Amino acid sequence: MRTILLIAGKDLRQRLRDRSLLLLAFVVPFGLAAVFSVVFRDVDAQQPVTFAVADLDRGPIATTFTGRVLRPLEQAGVVRLRGADDETMARAIVDGGQAQAAYVIPTGFSQAVQTRHKATIRVIGDVDDRIGAFVARSIADSFASDVRYVQVALAAKGGGTPEQAAAVPPPVTVTDLTADRRQLTLAEGFQAGIAVFFLFFAVQFGFSSILDERRDGTLARLLAAPVPRLTIALAKLLTGVVVGVVSMTVLLAASSLLLGADWGSPVGLGLLIVAGVLAANGVMALVVTVARTAEQAGNAETVAAMLLGVLGGVLVPIQQTGGALATLSLVTPHRWFMRGLADLHGVNAPVVPLVPVLALLGFAVVTLGLALSRTERMFRL
Amino acid sequence: MTAIVWVNLVRLVRDRTNIFSVVVFPIVLILVFGLSFGGTGRPRLGVAAGDGPLAAELVAALARSGELELVRVGGEAEARDGVERGTLTAALIIPGGYDRALAAFTPVELPYVARNEPSALQLGATVRSVVSQATVAPRAAAYVREGSFPDLVARIGRISAPGVTVESVTTGPVRPVQVSGFDVAATSQLLLFVFLTSLTGASALIETRRLGVSRRMYAAPVGSRAILLGEAAGRVGVALAQGLVIMLGSGLLFGVRWGDPVGAVALLLAFSLVGGGAAMLLGAVARTSQQAVSVGVLAGMGLAAIGGAMVPLDQFTGPMRQIAHLTPHAWALDGFAELLRRDGTVADVLPQLGVLALFAAALLALGSWRLRAALTR
Repeated sequence: MRTILLIAGKDLRQRLRDRSLLLLAFVVPFGLAAVFSVVFRDVDAQQPVTFAVADLDRGPIATTFTGRVLRPLEQAGVVRLRGADDETMARAIVDGGQAQAAYVIPTGFSQAVQTRHKATIRVIGDVDDRIGAFVARSIADSFASDVRYVQVALAAKGGGTPEQAAAVPPPVTVTDLTADRRQLTLAEGFQAGIAVFFLFFAVQFGFSSILDERRDGTLARLLAAPVPRLTIALAKLLTGVVVGVVSMTVLLAASSLLLGADWGSPVGLGLLIVAGVLAANGVMALVVTVARTAEQAGNAETVAAMLLGVLGGVLVPIQQTGGALATLSLVTPHRWFMRGLADLHGVNAPVVPLVPVLALLGFAVVTLGLALSRTERMFRL
Repeated sequence: MTAIVWVNLVRLVRDRTNIFSVVVFPIVLILVFGLSFGGTGRPRLGVAAGDGPLAAELVAALARSGELELVRVGGEAEARDGVERGTLTAALIIPGGYDRALAAFTPVELPYVARNEPSALQLGATVRSVVSQATVAPRAAAYVREGSFPDLVARIGRISAPGVTVESVTTGPVRPVQVSGFDVAATSQLLLFVFLTSLTGASALIETRRLGVSRRMYAAPVGSRAILLGEAAGRVGVALAQGLVIMLGSGLLFGVRWGDPVGAVALLLAFSLVGGGAAMLLGAVARTSQQAVSVGVLAGMGLAAIGGAMVPLDQFTGPMRQIAHLTPHAWALDGFAELLRRDGTVADVLPQLGVLALFAAALLALGSWRLRAALTR
């Protein structure tokens, strides 16, 4: 154990003197996280839609629509309403981007409905905001179907008043069940993504430095010392783990303190970081054992880190899209780390995101086991 | 001079990791981005459907309603998981006994699982609308209450009522061409990587200095102007080569369209000049190749993020849209959008080409000035 610490200590001192670790593990990822947090803040924030209403009729049926349908939706925070004097003004409001859609209720609307004549509500939607226009149309459709119901019901029964028909409760009601949010904001997702993406580069200073030592000729001297090879391998891994844990902790703490990210329970976050760092070390160590020279190892590590990162969704929020790609991304530790962070969000968030932590530990056990079983070839001089 | 350009390209191709990060990686990213943004951007409604024809009818009505994407889910647990993780905007659960309850005039409640967020609330309004439209006949049957439910519904279905017509029109300028997720992904990845590779490639300039290649070039009967031109052309050539590979590759593999070819190549050339200029400047100013790579990654990805090459500019709000246009990326993206969305030609993107040319001129001038100082030091 002392020897492990001795070798790891030497490595860490060596790395601290060399500027590249500092740049790769701290400066560059934090710089990028800062840029992302500024650029992507509120890009994914949602706004209620705004509808303009031009009620030219002001009769009882029109007032039912504005007062009993639109107002409650405004009070529930689903839509925002603003008045318009006429169709021209309503159109101008939509054109100017102050509303996503507008309702125009023409003169004579209420009378037409009451006398069973053709009545029309006009919905003017912004051509570039199809969803807003769709919501506006749906709300009008809903009102239209209520009117149609009363007319159909009276015709079917052959009697009764509109009030009696309207008193029959709808047979099917939609009741709200509130769900938690277990999802990172876009800015948080990019910050965490960048941190875990660079983690895979930072841990290269650990295990793969065996090959550097071989290139520089110091490996022969290490092997000449009365130190088992496994000890050397473990010491190198320890260096990578220390570098990874420190870098991730600093990066995520800085995001939370300086960039306004919220990572949830510190205990869960800590476990996630440790598990993630172990997995990163394992995956990269396994990649290194395939290479013969330090240069080959460096190349293979870069390729692996970049591919896994992209598949894991560090640059694209893959997890939100669903489908085959989202399933495929589960083969990367990146994705599990991000999923763990997402799990820590929400009111009912667990203290420890158990499944992601276990998945990451699984990655670590398998890859570290395979890598250690293959270390013998790394020590061939 | 051509020799210097050639050396730069050969050095790029010799290193096999470069092939990966210059060619393969952008194509993989285009694939990933394309698939992710290939989605319609419409809200995704999960539906756990009960059995029976009326339940099926309701699901069909939801599917017909337009701007939403239906996703079948197994049950409430799966629905809740999807909503909480954000793969679904919301989910509607149609319980098992839906048809029986309607036929027995028993009120049915459909749980709507959603977060308390505007987009889910809006989707809720549309779901309620579809439900009330689809249940006009059962509700009228409940009002009449004479005879069997199926007979009543059938009879009511034959009644015509004037009702209220909802007439919908749209306003504003129409986008003539629909742009696919792949097209958007490809242009933004093209710009991100051409610029990123240019900047990180600045380390080649530092290697040139460190290995003494530049000193040897100076010893040869070549003027300093030719060396600078050669280095600049080398940087620009690398950017251009990568850009062309991405354009052709994405076109062949994913059918990405780039619009008018002359306009597209002109934009790429202008942007490569900007990238090459930035690389010259960085290569002259940075002292070690680690510095160059670090600054290159930071600036390459940072500017891409600010300029809208990571998340589309349409989604930016407020001042970030103006700030974006301080980067060459935003101008080039505008240019490509003009070519693609409005079927523009090279004449339509002259303003963007002009701005990019200004960027390029400034960076190349600054870069040559600093590089000359660095080389003759």
